[in-house]
Amino acid sequence: MSDNVTRRSVLKKLAGIVGGLLAMPAARTCKAGVQNVLASSPAPAGYDPFQHKWLMALDVDRCIGCGRCVEACGAENDVPEGHWRTWIERYVIPKAPTGSGKTRGEAIVDSPDGGKKGFPELLVPKEDILKSFFVPKLCNLCEHSPCTQVCPVGATFEAPDGAVLVDKNYCIGCGFCIQACPYGCRFFNEKTHTADKCTLCYHRITRGLKPACVEICPAQARIFGDLKNPVPDDPLQRFISDNKVEELKKSLGTGPRVVYAGLDEEVR
Amino acid sequence: MPPQIIRLVLLTIGIVCFYFTARYLLTPPSFGKYGHYRADAIQMIASRQIYWAGKAACVTCHTAHAEKLAKGEHKNLSCETCHGPGLAHVANTAEKLPKFDMSLCVRCHEASPSKPKWMHQINSKNHYTGNLCTECHVPHLPTEVP
Repeated sequence: MSDNVTRRSVLKKLAGIVGGLLAMPAARTCKAGVQNVLASSPAPAGYDPFQHKWLMALDVDRCIGCGRCVEACGAENDVPEGHWRTWIERYVIPKAPTGSGKTRGEAIVDSPDGGKKGFPELLVPKEDILKSFFVPKLCNLCEHSPCTQVCPVGATFEAPDGAVLVDKNYCIGCGFCIQACPYGCRFFNEKTHTADKCTLCYHRITRGLKPACVEICPAQARIFGDLKNPVPDDPLQRFISDNKVEELKKSLGTGPRVVYAGLDEEVR
Repeated sequence: MPPQIIRLVLLTIGIVCFYFTARYLLTPPSFGKYGHYRADAIQMIASRQIYWAGKAACVTCHTAHAEKLAKGEHKNLSCETCHGPGLAHVANTAEKLPKFDMSLCVRCHEASPSKPKWMHQINSKNHYTGNLCTECHVPHLPTEVP
């Protein structure tokens, strides 16, 4: 085999190596160019997602159904009309019809425009109502989120601090996640042509502010906090220890980071 | 080695090389840093502009109002709950807030069987025949009469 090594073959190999080295910067430039088209990311804001663990608690007995949270969220996050990242549901549970042998009637649930402008007067006469209440809803920030599992491009993810986010530069708008969410918290944003959802006002909480809905709620129905950095006499931890908190659709094993107190069995 | 095998091997090598080149070019820089997503997306989402300034920003200047508010029933309300978004005003104090909207009083206080019992509720139809809530109530100290 050694007699095969000729001047020509050695030169050829050398030329190949030099050519390869010359092509490397070109490939790098090309890669950067392709990625710039696919995704551009501004300078980091110095927020470490590993140092936080967010949790939201909702107090059903405090919600007055004014809908200011829905308005605040829509303005803060530029949510298109007809879609809601958070919304309020009004539950009306009528008294059981006589002779039905039941403890309560069929629940009536409404949420006109997500409760954005408050609620109209009830159509059910007051004396027929067994129980009525408001339930604020938003993304449940699942720890084992069905929506992130179905994303075919890795555009939606659970951040290390517990927020479930959508990378709008990468989302292809296929809508799998919208169908996968058992809580109906995602929607298709026609402006951006991507899936959209509550980010827990990520741009606010990373700056040390409260999410818009928590800030604006006049009744303290929403309690928000950081489990890794509790403040002295932390309202969130006090709330969780003082109340029996529940998750929505616990049987699904999604592990929500949004918990409710004072939840009726009818709420799903 | 039979030539058809050599062709197959070369084709396989070609496909594998193409796959790795394409993957190298198409995978974004921070993909896979924290998980199966672009880690830079976290900062991208965090860099969005805020809209509501927050009570802490209001209280920095309006201390007298904040102290008054802290004494009454409305102590836990954020300023922007009633006054509207104040970020433009925080950035430039010459910029005035939107006019105080009195329909917000009724939004919260109108009686409804769905509202919790602790909430002060009124029936606006027979509560007062005048127009302005502020004729009888001080919004910052609701139990006080002006």
